[in-house]
This record gives sequence, structure tokens and C-alpha cells, in this order.
Amino acid sequence: MSEKDTTNFGYKEVEKEAKAGMVADVFHSVASRYDLMNDLMSGGIHRIWKRFTIELSGVRKGNAVLDIAGGTGDLAARFADIVGPEGRVVLADINDSMLQVGRDKLLDQGHLGNLEFVQADAQHLPFPDDSFDCVTIAFGLRNVTDKDIALRSMLRVLKPGGRLLVLEFSKPGNDLLSKAYDAYSFKVLPLMGKLVTNDSDSYQYLAESIRMHPDQETLKDMMEDAGFTRCEYHNMTGGVVALHKGLKA
Amino acid sequence: MVDNINPTVHTAALAALEAGLNQALTLAPQSAAELAELAECVFALHCTSPTLDVYLQPSAKGIRLMGYHDGAVTTSVRGEASDFTELATSKDPTATLINGRLELQGDSAALIELQKILAKLNPDWEAPLVSTLGDVAGHQLAQMLRSSFSWGKQASDSLGRQLDEYIHEEARLSPPRLELEDFYRDVQQLGQRVERLQSRTDRLRKRLRALQQ
Repeated sequence: MSEKDTTNFGYKEVEKEAKAGMVADVFHSVASRYDLMNDLMSGGIHRIWKRFTIELSGVRKGNAVLDIAGGTGDLAARFADIVGPEGRVVLADINDSMLQVGRDKLLDQGHLGNLEFVQADAQHLPFPDDSFDCVTIAFGLRNVTDKDIALRSMLRVLKPGGRLLVLEFSKPGNDLLSKAYDAYSFKVLPLMGKLVTNDSDSYQYLAESIRMHPDQETLKDMMEDAGFTRCEYHNMTGGVVALHKGLKA
Repeated sequence: MVDNINPTVHTAALAALEAGLNQALTLAPQSAAELAELAECVFALHCTSPTLDVYLQPSAKGIRLMGYHDGAVTTSVRGEASDFTELATSKDPTATLINGRLELQGDSAALIELQKILAKLNPDWEAPLVSTLGDVAGHQLAQMLRSSFSWGKQASDSLGRQLDEYIHEEARLSPPRLELEDFYRDVQQLGQRVERLQSRTDRLRKRLRALQQ
């Protein structure tokens, strides 16, 4: 197997073609209890991270927003409220189980009219050039097989002046916090996954994929290489999560 | 948003405050309807001490509080926390804005409207108690809370008055407000007279020099 044809799946080295299917299996397995697990794992703080993402997005009435790897639709629901009936929000996810859970949840909440649901791969977004004012991807980029291709695809669908926001786990800046975070990720998370979703492997993958994800500065460089300008990031909760923002010139 | 504030803490604090405000607004439908008229406005509150930026956006669904806003602002207000408290509790917000230390940019009418709506916010706290505990128990608990609050307010007002009287009249630690205002006025008048005298002597000195030449 040549080096070019492989990518990481957690700590494992797998064939590039196989990663999407393996990630899909992880999310098929956890989709029904995804929201509950997010609340349990983060102690509810993921809502604060997403709220900050919405603030920084600068989305306003009438905007077109694409939420990639939108999962159960936390960001899309809030964006749909903000853009109003004259705006447009597209919730995209590669995984049909997650998309179904998200669609059912948002429709049950009464979100209708300005929301679309699309099963799409972040690397090959099925939208025309210059379509969106804002693109967000929250806790999704680390699961993408080729992040560089995905970032260029996001740039393509953004309108000039549009913003990309990447909310993703990152590297804590403090050694003590880093050690506590490692212990939590590799000991507590798989156990929690076993108890709630009867699937510890998926949460072992979660912890491993976070460690394999590029750190704050590397991701910022990757965004700049893809063609984004004025790239910046904000560390949250000591760097456990970072929010990267870049503009399309 | 101010860079030295942790975004997680800042966002969490604003989320909690927003939830509390919106909960109060659901119990005061009149205020909520009035806020809907300010739906297109964004108010920027820049607090310099402690350093904190808050953006407030009213809508028909309630109030949205943000730590960061990328877009046009209707009214921007800058000042210390005490200045904002003074404005929030003022019975005459126009006078407070003119005479106070707050720096204001943009549309002051919208800000005054917002202050008036929030100042007269009078939530019906009995409604959630009645819906949770039932008509009889809920009403009795609400009455009890209302009389406790009323007693607390009376006690606090009375304590404030007595403390004021003790400081000014008994211990004479500070002069009364009116006396202090008279003193400030006298100092101001003295200052003006000194300035006038100075300009008069300058004029006379100039004329004297002209005569000597």
C-alpha cells in the first residue's frame, strides 16, 4: 500500500477509499443517541461552543448558510431562525442516519420553509460556485478523508466575502489540562459510550481522531493554503476546542 | 468581543443572562410585544470597567445577547458599569444620557425606547407558580413572596434613609447634598469671577503698555 493511498482512521492507517465507510459505520451506530452523548461528554458545554460559532458567523436576515456535517442540526436550527423566511439554510451530512435524525428533530421543532437537507460529501459539495454567505462545519472536519480537498470545496461554494467557520476539537495549551483531558478521553469516554450507546469503539475512535486532527496553527495554515484570507482562530475551554474563521476574498 | 475574556465563560454568562431575560419576557407579554418594534436594532454596550462588550438585539421572540457582532449597530454606548446601572434604573433616561458620563453614538431614541421597555418590565411571577402548584397553593405562595419582597423593599428604603441621616446629621461624616451643591456652585462662580478678573487685568495691562509706548 503506497503512502499516498492511505489516511488515518483514529490511530489506524487505512486506505483512503475505506475511511468514509468506516466513519459512516461510527455515526450509524451513535446517531440515535448523538445529542444525549454530546451533552454527557461535554457537560453541555458544546452548546456554548456552538453559540459562539453562531455569534462569530455574522449571519443575518436573508443570508444563505451551509452547515456541513450538520448532524442533528443544532447550528442549522439557530441559523434558520436568524436568516428568516427570506434566507436559506442547507443542512448537509454525508451520513444518512445522522441526516434523518437531524431532519426529524428540526421538523418536529417546527423549522420549515427555509431549511433544506442534503446528503453530501464535504470534499465534493454538490452546489454551484459562490452560493453561500457562510459555511460552517462543527466537529466534522476531522472525519473528512482529505481535508485540503474539502477546504477548497468549501471555498468554491462561498460567495466572495463569505465566511468559513470550522469548530473542531484541538490541542489544549496547558500541560496539566492536556493530561486530564487525555485521561478523560481514553478512560471515561469509551466507558460512557459503552453504557449509553453500547458502543465503546466509536468513542475510542472519537478520542483517537481528535489526537490525529491538526492543531490550531496547522489548521490555520491549511485554510490559508486552500485560499482563505484573514484566517484566525479562537481557543475555547483552554484549547480543547478551537473555532477557526476564514474569508473568501 | 474583548480579547482578554475567555470566550467560553463570556458566552456562557451571556447565554444564562439571555435565558433569564427571555424567561421574564414570557411572563410579561406587553413588554415582549413592544420589543418586537425594535426588531431591526442592534445595541452595542461597551463597558470600560470591567472591560466587557455586549451586543443586544431585541426581536419578537425575545432578546438576543451576543459577545461579538459583525455588522451595523443602531446605537453604541460606552462607559463604566456604574454608568450603565444608572441608566438602567433611571426614571428619566434622556436626562441621564445627557447629564451622565456615558458616551453615545448613533440613534439615542431607540436606546431610550429600549430602556423604558426594560425599566417597566413587570413579569407576572404568579403565573408559573399557579401552573406548577395549582390555583390555591400557587396563589398563596405568590402572596407570601410578594409581601416578603414588599417588606424587604420597605426595610431597605428605611435603612437607606436612616443611614443617610446618620452620616449627614449625626456623625457629620459628609455634608448634606444641598450644601455640597451650593459649595460647588460657589466654587464655580468664584472660578468664573477669577477668569473675568484675569482677562480684565490683562486688558488693562495691555492698554498701559500701549500708553507707555
